[in-house]
Amino acid sequence: MADGTRTLLVGDGPLVDGLHDGLVDRGHVVAQVVPVRTDGGTGIEAGTGTGISTGIGAGVSLIGRPDLVVHVPPVPASPVPLVDQTTQRWVEACEAPMAEAFAVARACRPHLSDRARLVWVVPTVAMGGAAGFVGSAAASEGIRALAKSAARQWGPEGLTTAVLAVAPELAFPSDAGAGARISATAGPALGRPGDAFGDIAPLLDLLADPAARFMTGATLVADGGVWMAP
Amino acid sequence: MNPGLVPGGRLLEGRVVLVTGGASGLGLGMATAMAAHGAAVVLACRRSETGEPAAAGLREAGHDVRCVRCDVTSADDLRTAVDATVTAHGRLDCMVHNAIAPTGGPTRIQDVAQDHWDAMVATAIRATFEGARAAHPHLREAGGSMILMTSSAGMEGSASLPVYAMVKAAQRTLAKGLAAEWGADGIRVNCIAPVADTPAMERAYDENPVLQERLLERTPLGRIGDPLGDVGPAAVFLASDMARFMTGQTLCVDGGGFLGL
Repeated sequence: MADGTRTLLVGDGPLVDGLHDGLVDRGHVVAQVVPVRTDGGTGIEAGTGTGISTGIGAGVSLIGRPDLVVHVPPVPASPVPLVDQTTQRWVEACEAPMAEAFAVARACRPHLSDRARLVWVVPTVAMGGAAGFVGSAAASEGIRALAKSAARQWGPEGLTTAVLAVAPELAFPSDAGAGARISATAGPALGRPGDAFGDIAPLLDLLADPAARFMTGATLVADGGVWMAP
Repeated sequence: MNPGLVPGGRLLEGRVVLVTGGASGLGLGMATAMAAHGAAVVLACRRSETGEPAAAGLREAGHDVRCVRCDVTSADDLRTAVDATVTAHGRLDCMVHNAIAPTGGPTRIQDVAQDHWDAMVATAIRATFEGARAAHPHLREAGGSMILMTSSAGMEGSASLPVYAMVKAAQRTLAKGLAAEWGADGIRVNCIAPVADTPAMERAYDENPVLQERLLERTPLGRIGDPLGDVGPAAVFLASDMARFMTGQTLCVDGGGFLGL
């Protein structure tokens, strides 16, 4: 649908790998930026935290001004009740992903092509919360708000944003994800949580297409039909 | 009927409430309403010179109110405030985390300063985490509740206050997650999304001259809320047995300004 779309993909892990391969398969020219997350950094400015600014600059030098920027924020490997968390773990689960998302937004802004789109991929626990993943879910909802605010700020300049909310089974490491499912009583209507290559990457492709140009700040829920509210 | 469930009665008789940012504005309004409903209230205030007079004023009105100095960016201060409340009153039934750093004026995402980011995250997010950890054993013992303050900005985004929108959104889902984790402990966690005339709002009007007009335009009830008369009752309700089957929810107390829920 969007052959030659220049895409910056920020993040790492199995979900990002699947998105990368799926986007390449659909003709995107992809540069992947892997943040350095050794210190749970919460820097949002150039030269701080996860090296986002430097990484994005390097990615742009490889593919040119991106048409699509996709950020997959980090998530914790396993659930821990809030009262049992250390402050450091809380920072890594909640505050650092929010800071990383903000850093991505501000670092990529000067490089974006006309009518570019910025997309965050988060688990659906953003909307519903999740026991054991309180901080990660809170961060994801904060990032959804960032997508809306950026849409409102940058819309007059022709830029758009979106959020793709995916099944916890995709976003979190396998065993942890199933435990974070929003509804304990309702599995996905389509019978599976989906896969990054075949189910989610095509939606990123769609969001990069001019056909989606009038949608901004919105969340697309792609979890096979678990979260159906409102 | 249980007299405690009669609207207009003293719905919080015998209850103990801790309110962060309680010296003025929304915090003082909610604290006053809760005290008027019989609660013993502790105002957790960053500056004693404002918190003590606020507490003294409420005591003169016949309420059981005291002040403890608390900078919510300090986990030690939050634990001290919780401990002081329990030491003074023997229990903690409700913690209202209302304090937040100044939002500042309209800001482009590209121009947000690190210290502004840090202050907003520390007061809204980290303080919720540390305060929740400190309060949890006492709320569990009392079968109590926690109230977080959120905002429609967190639900619909904000072109002018992007960091405020982020942390308020995060607090709302934080409440949902805590509601899920603490339900088995008998603890409820809810949010209030208010719009009210406060000193902080006055500063926001100064920094954004069109803000008040825009707020009024979008508010069906045609006025900005009052911290005591409009937001206070929502806090009383959520802390009381009237709301005993509500958790993880957000009450928008904004005159109908946000209708998206």
